[in-house]
Amino acid sequence: MKPFLAYLAKRLLQFAVVVFIGVNITYVITHATPIDPVEQSVTAATSFGVTSPEAVEMMRASLRELYGLEGSPVEQYLSFWRRVVVGDFGPSLSAFPTPVSTLIWRAMPWTVGLLLASTLMTWIIGNLIGGLAGYYRRNRLLKLAGIVSMGVHPIPYYIVAFVLLIVFGFVWPVLPISGGASMNVNREDSFGFALDVLLHSILPSLSLMAVGIGGWFMGMRALVSNIVTEDYVTYAELAGVGRRRILRSYVMRNALGPQVTGLALQLGAIFNGAIITEQVFGYPGLGSLLISGVHAGDYSLVLGITSVSIIAVSAAVLVIDLLFPLIDPRVEVR
Amino acid sequence: MQVLAILRDLVRYNLEFAAGLILVGLVVAMALLSFVSPYPPLDVYVVAPDVPPSWDYFFGTTSRGQDVFWQLTLAIRNTLTFGIVVAVLSRLIALMVGLVAGYKGGWIDRVLMSINDTFVVIPLFPILVLFYFIMRDAMSWAMLALITAALGWAYDARLIRAMAMSLRTREFTNQAYFSGASTGRILVQEHLPFVLPIVFSTTMNNINWSIGIEVTLSVLGFTDINTPTVGGMIYWANQHTALVAGVWWWIAFPVALVVMLFVGLFLLAISMNEYIDPRSRLARMGGGA
Amino acid sequence: MRVIRLLMLALASLIASTAASSAQGTISDLPRRETLILENPEGTIKNPGWFNIWAINAGGQYTGLHQLALDTLWYIDPERGLDGSWQNSLAAEKPIYNADFTEMTVKLRPGIFWSDGVEFTADDLVYTVETQIKTPGMRWSALLSLNVDSVQKVDAQTVVFKLKKPNSRFHALFTVRFNAIWMMPKHIFEKAPDPLRFDFNKPVSLGAYTLNSYDPDGKWFLWQRRDDWQRTTLGRYGEPGPKYVAYVDPGPPDKRVIAQLNHDLDVIHDVAPEGMFTLAKQSKSLKTWFKGFPFGHPDPTLPAVIFNLQNPTFQNHDVRWALALLIDIRAVAMASYRGAATISAIAIPPTGTHPDDYHKPMQDWLAGFELDTGKEKIKPYDPTMGQQIATMLRPSMGDQIPTDPAEIARSFGYGWWKPNPTAAAELLERAGYSKRGDAWYTPDGKPFAIKIMVEGDSRPVMTRAGTMIAQQWRQFGIDAKIDVAQGTNMLDRRGAGDFDTFIGWSVETYGGHPDLAFFLDSWHSQFVAPAGKTQSPRNWQRLTSPELDKLIEQIRTVSFEDPKTVELGRDYAKFMVREMPIIPLMAYNVFTAMDETYWTGYPTAEDPYTDPVPNWGNSRLMMVRLKPTQP
Repeated sequence: MKPFLAYLAKRLLQFAVVVFIGVNITYVITHATPIDPVEQSVTAATSFGVTSPEAVEMMRASLRELYGLEGSPVEQYLSFWRRVVVGDFGPSLSAFPTPVSTLIWRAMPWTVGLLLASTLMTWIIGNLIGGLAGYYRRNRLLKLAGIVSMGVHPIPYYIVAFVLLIVFGFVWPVLPISGGASMNVNREDSFGFALDVLLHSILPSLSLMAVGIGGWFMGMRALVSNIVTEDYVTYAELAGVGRRRILRSYVMRNALGPQVTGLALQLGAIFNGAIITEQVFGYPGLGSLLISGVHAGDYSLVLGITSVSIIAVSAAVLVIDLLFPLIDPRVEVR
Repeated sequence: MQVLAILRDLVRYNLEFAAGLILVGLVVAMALLSFVSPYPPLDVYVVAPDVPPSWDYFFGTTSRGQDVFWQLTLAIRNTLTFGIVVAVLSRLIALMVGLVAGYKGGWIDRVLMSINDTFVVIPLFPILVLFYFIMRDAMSWAMLALITAALGWAYDARLIRAMAMSLRTREFTNQAYFSGASTGRILVQEHLPFVLPIVFSTTMNNINWSIGIEVTLSVLGFTDINTPTVGGMIYWANQHTALVAGVWWWIAFPVALVVMLFVGLFLLAISMNEYIDPRSRLARMGGGA
Repeated sequence: MRVIRLLMLALASLIASTAASSAQGTISDLPRRETLILENPEGTIKNPGWFNIWAINAGGQYTGLHQLALDTLWYIDPERGLDGSWQNSLAAEKPIYNADFTEMTVKLRPGIFWSDGVEFTADDLVYTVETQIKTPGMRWSALLSLNVDSVQKVDAQTVVFKLKKPNSRFHALFTVRFNAIWMMPKHIFEKAPDPLRFDFNKPVSLGAYTLNSYDPDGKWFLWQRRDDWQRTTLGRYGEPGPKYVAYVDPGPPDKRVIAQLNHDLDVIHDVAPEGMFTLAKQSKSLKTWFKGFPFGHPDPTLPAVIFNLQNPTFQNHDVRWALALLIDIRAVAMASYRGAATISAIAIPPTGTHPDDYHKPMQDWLAGFELDTGKEKIKPYDPTMGQQIATMLRPSMGDQIPTDPAEIARSFGYGWWKPNPTAAAELLERAGYSKRGDAWYTPDGKPFAIKIMVEGDSRPVMTRAGTMIAQQWRQFGIDAKIDVAQGTNMLDRRGAGDFDTFIGWSVETYGGHPDLAFFLDSWHSQFVAPAGKTQSPRNWQRLTSPELDKLIEQIRTVSFEDPKTVELGRDYAKFMVREMPIIPLMAYNVFTAMDETYWTGYPTAEDPYTDPVPNWGNSRLMMVRLKPTQP
């Protein structure tokens, strides 16, 4: 147990360091912006309707006071960290005075749900098919599956999402192409609502999966084909152990280890894919929120979302790293 | 000479490599054609808009009055250049970090790897969007290439470091060290040749990755959409609701070409990977266990 | 293999079950025949539970909130209106000013009730004004603080304003041209501790609709007709047709077109010209403002090439005119709107009642206008430009192009400046510029380079226009390029004067009323910011002209009802032609597409009872005239 605790402590420290560096970088970048949120609000308020130049001046002054943009850079930095530690990113500047954290928590479930479901499915299906393909080398169906998944894998998320949108939204319109749920669906009716949400998540998940499967497939197939030549597998085969049993207990289980690590490393990339996919399908998750924040010049919101993404991905990697020794007993915790 | 022999082997025995070479070759040919394009790159309404593919206009024309074929040659050239520049820059960083960390070990290694892990874990897209957010039109292609390269070295640096660590324990390294060679010389002269094949195959993947980023950012309008690029073409097509208006050729051809490039580079990468691992290379060529 | 087969079976059954339910639709259990669905160009609202429109930048505004739920004293329609473009809404009659415009009296309409049963009285009006003056930082705080010295309730139906300085157009603050100062419900807001942080959820309506429900993720808002609709100002026109009205975010332009083709979206706010042409081709139930080309509704806004007049290059009138003479408006109309543009040579939008008040009567003056290039005198105006565009389009668009000259003038505009590179060269030479080889050089010997700032993705049509203009200047020998500044960046640079030229608008009018003070007042040189400081709307070109100042001051002393305002308006137009501080291009055509599958009675050019563009507060008039297509 002792070495595990030491490992745990080391990994936690690493987690904290990564988050700290990442959020700092984000803070510096967002505050390097020349965008003036007061100007945004003033212009938004005066674009239409009656206005007068003097009124605009007055509005500018009162908003500056309201948004509380005083304090030296150092003071702002310190107060930022003081708030972040309790999860407060300040008010959104394009939806004042709603706190950024409120907006993030509202969008978070959609992104997390989408990511969780599609990542798990992709990992399971990809590894399953890859493992089978590595073991049954001559099966034509598996070879075909391999070619298809590897063919789609290098294509960027945007294009795959776009193609799916065209096929299922335009050519054969059977799936909803926009939004997280239908209009006026009763949210109290949990079964109906759940079904509706599921429906709307099919296309986004599908595009994430289409791209992801190929990667796991290839990795698993390579691993399995290596393991298959190992002595203990040959011995089991000769000893008459059933093929299915060999595949399951001897081959796949040993191949899973590196794939779990691979999952940890891929999480950042998968998150990117989710953001892009959300844009294409108008899915109300963090990705859409980020893009709308950028367009509105709302740096509080952008800072908040980026920080949350960094923390979330790092935390997920941490969890996987900690679970890994439990899966693969060969690994020594050093 | 050795390189030629390797290439010959690859083409002869490895279908994937041959296919990849053909695909990439076609794309590069398109890019080179851009130098003889009869239309100035930035001009619009130089030909009749929305003409379907025909003998006059191989790939049809866009709603902005541009010839899709010639526009695409320019676009693919710009996109490819961007991808290559980013790949080269990030290889340099990855090599430096990986070799030094692997060879030196100790606290240098730990520090470099912490930085590395940070970059692996940070979701890149929000950061890129962030940069665009502050720089807006000051974001030239050179700047974007620099930033993307600075974000794309982490994954491969680890691979290189692993190789470097194993090389460190080899005989010839000790020999060089004891004969007084400096760290730099050892890294460049002794280790680099071993590491290069891996670097090469990761370059293919890296080009894919950076072009993917460019296409995605351009499609969302987050880059300078006046320079023709593949992502930019799709962006303009969306602006003009091309698909719904029936101008499918404006989207289909750029997408097809870029998919060819991706798949081609990918095939090259995996076939080279296979070649590097001697067991699979021999298995492929029909010998060995 | 069993596993794989199982997976495939699961996937197939999932797809089959979803195909069974009509999965493309966005409504689940609303009676579609009683629901009108419109697009909200704000997109997805970040903060959907916020309905306090009096706090700035806090929640959605055009979600149906200001169109259906709120009300104020008067409306000016950008078109003809149901009973005239001027409407007394919460006010019973027009504003009553004293002789020197320092006092305004408002008589309110009795019998109007909030949706929770409380009657609307002078208390609400007084509360609205006083609260915003007391709480700086609210949407209209500044405007009210600057103008209002005191506001008093005389009786339940009468309010008197005492103004800080004479303002003959003070009533404009309460007159809806797109929006205006909306009335706050005193009985609700006085219970809130801080009006800036009160979310006003669920909103209490003064208009004919109340909030039924909304999407916590901000994609749709559903409003329901009040049972006591007769007790609202809209009620005097009749019962509003749609029982339910939904404002939604349908996504990017192609999704909007798809949605309307599937009859899931009744009114599209705006779409690219190509999208409109697709709808015209494929939709049997499409209704547009103009029956044929150019389909779209010309909003009372005037896109133009706006010069930065604090930049020394553009301070020379010859240079500005030369650049104007290099533009071929036909190519610009084709590039931007695919020809579906209503051009204007004068600095007034060619829409609403303006063509009758300004464009048509000034044709003779324009045709006779003479320009001295230094080498010759030319008459640059070509009155047939509109017709030429129509002729250009007829081969490909066939009988969608009108043939009647009056109709062509209405749809495409009258005339414009004839492209004349020779005259342009002469003007530039007089200004000291010289041509060496293919390129033009400034008097200091530097290459003549101009950047045109455009908004890129946010306004694709204008970006295309700018791109074409840059190309035309380039072909002449000027190093012209477009410079994309999107969203907030464009706003910053426009305000800071950080541009050479940009495609935008500094001219916005009422549309249904000839008074130009709405925008012109802010063009007085007293409001021009020094170089480097932020310019307030709307004088983006930073024009300073004693001649124009005198005109503006004259307008200030004349009541906005006085027919003299039209005369002064024409003087303004003539001044703008002579000086050319901006190069007017065309009206801002909004491609609002309406679907008649479920509803009929939309406003059109033949029946111009209001502006169909759905984010305008004035569009509420549509509700009264819309009737179900399928009873």
